[in-house]
Amino acid sequence: MTDASTPSTPRQKKNWLSPEFVRAMLAGHSALGLAFAALIYIVCLSGTLAVFVLEFKRWEQPNVPLVFEEPTPEAIGNALNAAFIAAKEHSETPDLFVAWDGSRTPHFNVSFHDHESGMEREWLADAKGNIVEEVEAPWSEFLARLHINLHIPPTYGLFIVGLTGVALLSSLISGLLSHPRIFRDAFSFRIGGSRRLQDADLHNRLGVWGLPFHIAVSLTGALLGLSVLIIGVLALAAYEGDSGKAFGELIGPQAGEDVAPAPLPDLSAMIARIRADHADSIFSSAHVEHAGTVGQMTHLSMRSPGHLSSANPYYFDGTGELIGDGGLESGSIGQQILGALHPIHFGWFGGMTVKIVYGLLGLALTIVTHTGVTIWLHRRREKGRPTPFWERIWAALAWSQPFALAAAALVALTASPALILPSYLVCFGAALGIGYLSRDETACARILLLLSGLSLCAVAVVHIAMFWDRGIADPMGWIVDGLLIGGGFILMADVLILVGKRYMSGKTARGRARSTP
Amino acid sequence: MGLIAAAIGLLAAGVALLRLSWLRKRRGGLKGAVLVGWLAIVASFFIFAHAFGGERGIAFALLAFSVVGLVGVTATVQVRRKRSDSRDRAAEPAQRATNWTRAIAKSLLAIVLAGAASIGVGVAFAVAMPMPETDKMLIGGLMVPVLWGGGMAWTLSDSKLFRATAILLIICAAGYTIAFLPNLVS
Repeated sequence: MTDASTPSTPRQKKNWLSPEFVRAMLAGHSALGLAFAALIYIVCLSGTLAVFVLEFKRWEQPNVPLVFEEPTPEAIGNALNAAFIAAKEHSETPDLFVAWDGSRTPHFNVSFHDHESGMEREWLADAKGNIVEEVEAPWSEFLARLHINLHIPPTYGLFIVGLTGVALLSSLISGLLSHPRIFRDAFSFRIGGSRRLQDADLHNRLGVWGLPFHIAVSLTGALLGLSVLIIGVLALAAYEGDSGKAFGELIGPQAGEDVAPAPLPDLSAMIARIRADHADSIFSSAHVEHAGTVGQMTHLSMRSPGHLSSANPYYFDGTGELIGDGGLESGSIGQQILGALHPIHFGWFGGMTVKIVYGLLGLALTIVTHTGVTIWLHRRREKGRPTPFWERIWAALAWSQPFALAAAALVALTASPALILPSYLVCFGAALGIGYLSRDETACARILLLLSGLSLCAVAVVHIAMFWDRGIADPMGWIVDGLLIGGGFILMADVLILVGKRYMSGKTARGRARSTP
Repeated sequence: MGLIAAAIGLLAAGVALLRLSWLRKRRGGLKGAVLVGWLAIVASFFIFAHAFGGERGIAFALLAFSVVGLVGVTATVQVRRKRSDSRDRAAEPAQRATNWTRAIAKSLLAIVLAGAASIGVGVAFAVAMPMPETDKMLIGGLMVPVLWGGGMAWTLSDSKLFRATAILLIICAAGYTIAFLPNLVS
């Protein structure tokens, strides 16, 4: 939050921060913001879209069964059996996962993971627990990975994203401390005049009013990204260097060594056991580690109303005995924080209303990041030291993202998933190339806005065409297509208005020329 | 539903009173309105907490507060006069002579040393505090980004590199000693 404009008051009130301190903070805020701007921008924009990743998954598979009512215990058991049969073709001791969370998405997911080979497969089931179709949502997966680890190997990618979260948090701290009139200016938003002041007002108002959200997502994001590093150091200090053991304290008991065959856990009985104590709890997921062995461990997650946590895991050993729970809903403060981390970060705790608010505030944070750089660029221009190269490159970077993400979606719909990342990178690079070659930032922005708008419309048209024969049963498919077309036209509006004006003025000029004898 | 509407109404009234007061402050002020405005906002938070439970209710209230505030700002956008007045004087960051060596040193301080110090403090907390294992791990973990972020903000704004380096090194030494000492002694 920089560049606060100075209001005139009848009696100049003394600010609670000295001008020297504010100027020093502003210098630090500016340096940090510029150093991390591109990373923060990409992480914020991808995160804003990732809030709706489950809706995008529905859009990518609009003809799979939707399960709006909580599946019966029998259906959940059926799904587990079906997953086990499918998993046994690929794995000796698979980990099975059955999940349904109607507050997030009506998809009933079934998956397995093999520790030895790292192999994973995921299916969607119907309300009776029958596996219907394999999950194929490559663009949604691409988007989630872009936000989580920027498609860099997770060891480094998670750290870089975590560090970006720290930089964002630090920018919020220095931004607040460089804004001595935070209350008096809280409602002052003026458009017009110099672009620097206009952007500063936008930057400050969106930054200050969205502050609870900005702090929550940057703090939780930084912790999630840095958890491997923090736990690694903690393991060295207190767990003889064994990170797995340290993580075990957080994720609960794991399967035993005994891999002798045994029947799958009786999920119906386990659900009934939990409901005996928590009558209003709803099934959320069941994770069976080393399924079908004597040492199997079941984490049955059930959600009680009124909590931020998605659900509380209850632990059942290989004999089906309840041996404890994670306390994520009503355990100790640390357990409750652990349970709330993901829902708070992704906005998955209040249905679609909260998702939409998260989307809007995420967009606000993206605009705050963008205007942070433009304020610096305008300031340099006002001081007579313009940097037209960086003005063009920043415009290119900002508008490269909708273009590259839309192009990646087009590839995901029409070609191999292996081509999604290359196509994203090629379009990103091409956008930067356009920035390098453009006359100025306005020209660069217009070209990329046009390309982004056209690409978004093309994604919707291709999606509708692909599913035209089968129909689009899930209304989310139509909603996303409508939003893509609407978003595409909004992005192109500036260019379309300009073309329209030129056409009209040309027509008027021709009319005048004709009427002149 | 009626309760939620009342909470949002109170929140909007509170934000409107703050707006009225803070924009008028430039022309004399309206002190009572600020107090009543904040009271209305706090009352709306209580209603949210009552309706949805403490955890979710406060989260909803904070989101609603942000949205109502932004709606208030958007609804009253002003057009800046072409001729700028004293309000339009922008704050300027401190201008400091810098070079590549200093920039690299500052980056190392803000990213590496501040990071090492904050992880040291977080891990020391997680090792040494007399609390349940999950609690001290989570609270210690949450301390890391907050301290790192604060350290970054401070080191980048402090013009005295030596002072920042010395303080961060002392914090590192203290943090890692507390974290690793029990391991080394046993």
